[in-house]
Amino acid sequence: MSSLNFIGKTSVRDNIRLTDNPKYPVFKNLYVKQKKAVWFPEELNIQQDVLDYKSLNPTEKDLFDSAVGYFASSELLVQNVLGNGFFPVLTDPYVKMSFTAQMFMENIHSDFFEIILNTFDMDRKRVYNITLEDKLLMEKQELIIRAVDRITYGKADPDSLEGKKQILTSILLNNIIQEGLFFYSAFAHFFAMKDVGKMKNVVSGVELVLIDESLHLQNGIEAILTIIEENPEIVDDIKFVENIRDTIIDAVELELNYLKTKFGGTTIFGVSYKELEQYMKYIADRRLEELGFDPQFKISQNPLKFLQKEDVKKLTNFFEVSSTEYTNF
Amino acid sequence: MQRIVVKRDGTEEKFQMKKLINAIFALLDGLDIPDDYEIVFKVAKELDLKIPQRVTTEELDYLVLKAIEQLIPKHLIYDTLASRQLLKIINRRIDRRFGSFKDYIEYGVRQNLLKEELLNFDIDYLEQNIDYSRDSLIDYFGLTTLKDRYLTKDREFEIIEKPQWFFMRVAMGIGNNEEEILKIYNKISNLEYLHSTPTLYNSGTTTNQYSSCYVNVIDDSLESIMDKAKETAFLAKYAGGVGTDVTRIRATGSKIHSLNAKSSGIIPFIKIFDTIVNAIQQGGRRRSSQVMYLQPWHLDIDAFLDLRETTGNPYFRTPSLNTAVWMPDEIMRRIKEGEPLYLFDPAECPELVTSHGEEFTKHYFECIEKAETGQLKMWKKIDSQEFFNRYLFKLAKTGHPWLTFKDRHNEHNPCPEYSVINSSNLCTEISIPNSPESTAVCTLASVNLARHINEDKTDIDWDKLKDTIETMVLALDNILDKNFYPSEESRKNTMDLRPLGIGLMGFAEALVDLGIPYDSDAAVDMAEKIAKFMRDTAYKKSQKLAEERGAFLHYEEMKKAGKPYPYPPRRNAVLLAIAPTASISIIAGTTSSIDSYFSNIYSRDTLSGKFIVINKKLMEELDKKGLWNEEIAEKIKSQGGSIQYIQELEGNINKSLYKTAYEIHPYRQIKIAAAFQKYIDQAVSKSLYIEEDLRNKMFDIYMYAWEEGLKSTYYCFIDKTVKGEKYMQKVNKRGSRRGFGLLKERVKASQSENNQEYELKEIEEKAREKYGDEIVEKVKSGNIEACPTDPLLSKICPSCE
Repeated sequence: MSSLNFIGKTSVRDNIRLTDNPKYPVFKNLYVKQKKAVWFPEELNIQQDVLDYKSLNPTEKDLFDSAVGYFASSELLVQNVLGNGFFPVLTDPYVKMSFTAQMFMENIHSDFFEIILNTFDMDRKRVYNITLEDKLLMEKQELIIRAVDRITYGKADPDSLEGKKQILTSILLNNIIQEGLFFYSAFAHFFAMKDVGKMKNVVSGVELVLIDESLHLQNGIEAILTIIEENPEIVDDIKFVENIRDTIIDAVELELNYLKTKFGGTTIFGVSYKELEQYMKYIADRRLEELGFDPQFKISQNPLKFLQKEDVKKLTNFFEVSSTEYTNF
Repeated sequence: MQRIVVKRDGTEEKFQMKKLINAIFALLDGLDIPDDYEIVFKVAKELDLKIPQRVTTEELDYLVLKAIEQLIPKHLIYDTLASRQLLKIINRRIDRRFGSFKDYIEYGVRQNLLKEELLNFDIDYLEQNIDYSRDSLIDYFGLTTLKDRYLTKDREFEIIEKPQWFFMRVAMGIGNNEEEILKIYNKISNLEYLHSTPTLYNSGTTTNQYSSCYVNVIDDSLESIMDKAKETAFLAKYAGGVGTDVTRIRATGSKIHSLNAKSSGIIPFIKIFDTIVNAIQQGGRRRSSQVMYLQPWHLDIDAFLDLRETTGNPYFRTPSLNTAVWMPDEIMRRIKEGEPLYLFDPAECPELVTSHGEEFTKHYFECIEKAETGQLKMWKKIDSQEFFNRYLFKLAKTGHPWLTFKDRHNEHNPCPEYSVINSSNLCTEISIPNSPESTAVCTLASVNLARHINEDKTDIDWDKLKDTIETMVLALDNILDKNFYPSEESRKNTMDLRPLGIGLMGFAEALVDLGIPYDSDAAVDMAEKIAKFMRDTAYKKSQKLAEERGAFLHYEEMKKAGKPYPYPPRRNAVLLAIAPTASISIIAGTTSSIDSYFSNIYSRDTLSGKFIVINKKLMEELDKKGLWNEEIAEKIKSQGGSIQYIQELEGNINKSLYKTAYEIHPYRQIKIAAAFQKYIDQAVSKSLYIEEDLRNKMFDIYMYAWEEGLKSTYYCFIDKTVKGEKYMQKVNKRGSRRGFGLLKERVKASQSENNQEYELKEIEEKAREKYGDEIVEKVKSGNIEACPTDPLLSKICPSCE
């Protein structure tokens, strides 16, 4: 059994025992971390933000609705990608546990955004349709859907080099580009709200989503690095490697086009397009480097300095804002 | 791209950076700063990214503020600048409407926002004594908090109060004459002490409700439950937190004789209060809050522990309520010694509810005897240690219920003839006798110890502290007669006992000034010394007040009844209570309550949003010693705000002065609280900060808290270990693995010496020769604004690669 690679074809009877000495210890670790991070939307007092929501001006409201809409319709997409595309080709039990932990967390996130939808009496159809009606948002999702559709239901052979490349591409699109770029863009919108004292309890939930997503990102990065390590011939295909890099950079362009339509010549919650542009580029470089590429944009520091608040320990005034500092485990 | 500024009158003009830079320079006026150009340049750089194509002057003011705010973690000076900019924004709008403080007061009275009686004072005289230079004492976080929630707003929610007007308005709502008003104004505007939030909100206003906390008792009847539901709603409406004892309510399955049915127990009734609290916004400015107290021998205790769980049947969950356990000594003893715990129905064993100490133990043994001999219908025997561990697990998981000690509270009851103390309050610092007919009220204020250090920083300025505490006793006692009481029960308790709650904040900051590490025996000694001084001073003043104004009513009644209390007459039954001071310590810009610094850099979530808080004492000391720079700042941040393992600081500063909350053992935290508790007549609200590694030691930690004689504990904070990806610092998730870099290495190896990086260096050197370093650096920074058209420069520009 230990001869099995990271991805491959297995029977349901294979590799169902845990061991003291896992083949991919990092995934055991990631599983434990995800377990510790588990939370439930009911812990947050979302209804405390209702008055805030009503006080948002039209541009602010539009930004909030779009961010909620994008997340609401993407969380289960991420889960589908993992469930239909990636999970079936995983071989190692700890790796599977780590990715199913992620899938469980996507439930929580969907649930969370669903509660937001209900609490603020948002137009469900409109919110879920945001990714259909806004062309740029649709393009963002389509980018992922197209690639994943190519590999589901056994269409990609995990034992062939071509299949490995396809699988790698889809995990890249899902865990790195979707969760590590597109979601990070929307995170910044939410955090900007709390920075100006608005929608604080919703944003407390998003802080928890961020913790989860950074673990998911790590899942994806570890998977990609492991697949390359086990199959170094993948990078013999220079065109493929360039393609991967281009995909990331194209995704940034896509996101920037979207941001331009929202932030154009104005500031929302005190944030301007130019700041967001630099921020996206900063984050994209981070993703490139994490995969072993050279950075593309070379932005020396994150221009959205209010985000440093997410980097340090947090103390909550309990009677004022939902606390996110307790752990369920 | 030429940016456009839209002015207030609608006219447009070209945006000029020069104008903005001049405005930033103006903020530095009067500050003696050698590198002012650098500071202004930094702010301008931040701004350049922020300003969109079209911007209003008002928005511009705000963006300047945001740009400065972002720089606060870099140096103390930015905090000062941000406060000045915010003050400018607040004042400018008010100056357009009011020519003077008097104008404002008159307007407030006309609009029925302020009390008419304020006009009886000599406002001109008071106005002459307003000292606007004290604005500079308030830091940015404090000023933002004031602006968002404390400064009075008109009916259109526009701020109409400058910070100094706010302090004066508060003082006018407390003092009986100009002399008292100025005394109070001078103290609070210098941040030497502050009243609690409801007083700051409402003093001098038509709302007129000064108290923070109410503590009521629910009797075992539907009538009482619904009465208290109504009382709670009104207490909550006027911005008070409510503590409620529910121990009397009969347990699930207990017989209701009038209906010949069985009771559904305490949980469904508690749920009613959850709904009430959720419905009422506390004074519109703070969520209303309530805590339910239950004694652990109640048969419904298990369901009570689960109230704050987030999963399970929502009808048995109360997300908006807080919970606390009112723990008798006998049960702690059983837990410690591993003897079984018996649970009873208060309907069958009512004597357990109000008895305490040895009397409780006696009754408890009798109940056990009755149970074991078949004389009780409902009871249960459980493993006490298993129970306590389950309780501690819930505490760590949900933060609730808090642990408070019934017998510690009751053995210091100054008025046992009045009533027992049935529970504490929302923040666990109150300890006042109460009953279903008498709802305890507490009106709080806290000394800012950090403003009571002598000039050469060798000791507390005891004379000043004495003066402050005497002012506080007078001010709080005044309030009791001006206060609006939302229920008859609450008025009665206050008039009978006249309880005050004088606490303190800034203890940790004061210790740093005195050079005493929080984690030391010297700190414990200091705590005891301060507490004793506070007690002696406050009691002496209250005794003096009794001579002028009479002792509290119940004292006189007992004297008349021939059962006098064995202490000299004083104005107030109790005087001291150490509250958490979560909000007012922000206004005062100091550490909260008797807690240590939470961390040297951390973020704080409040109603006004999320703020970065830095240990200013540390920043100051490092700056003075020339050790403060961005690298150190980043290092401290990356260590979660700890400086204990930063090599560069070794030997340069006394690191032990700057330990963070989780770096101080809970035993020490408890010791300090116990030292205060020795002399504080009510209770000390003490949150415990427990590092993840000590989580399995919680049994010992809470046992220690009991043994050391604490009356109350409060929140239990456990350091969260799983964090999100860091936003600002470099993160390396890849480690030394190569990933797609494998390809690059192969290409490099085949390309021999002629590699790109080398070429780039050459071009850069050429460019430096031709255009100078400044331009090259600008281009290399990837700044879009600096996008070069020169072909040589575009080769090194990262964004045009």
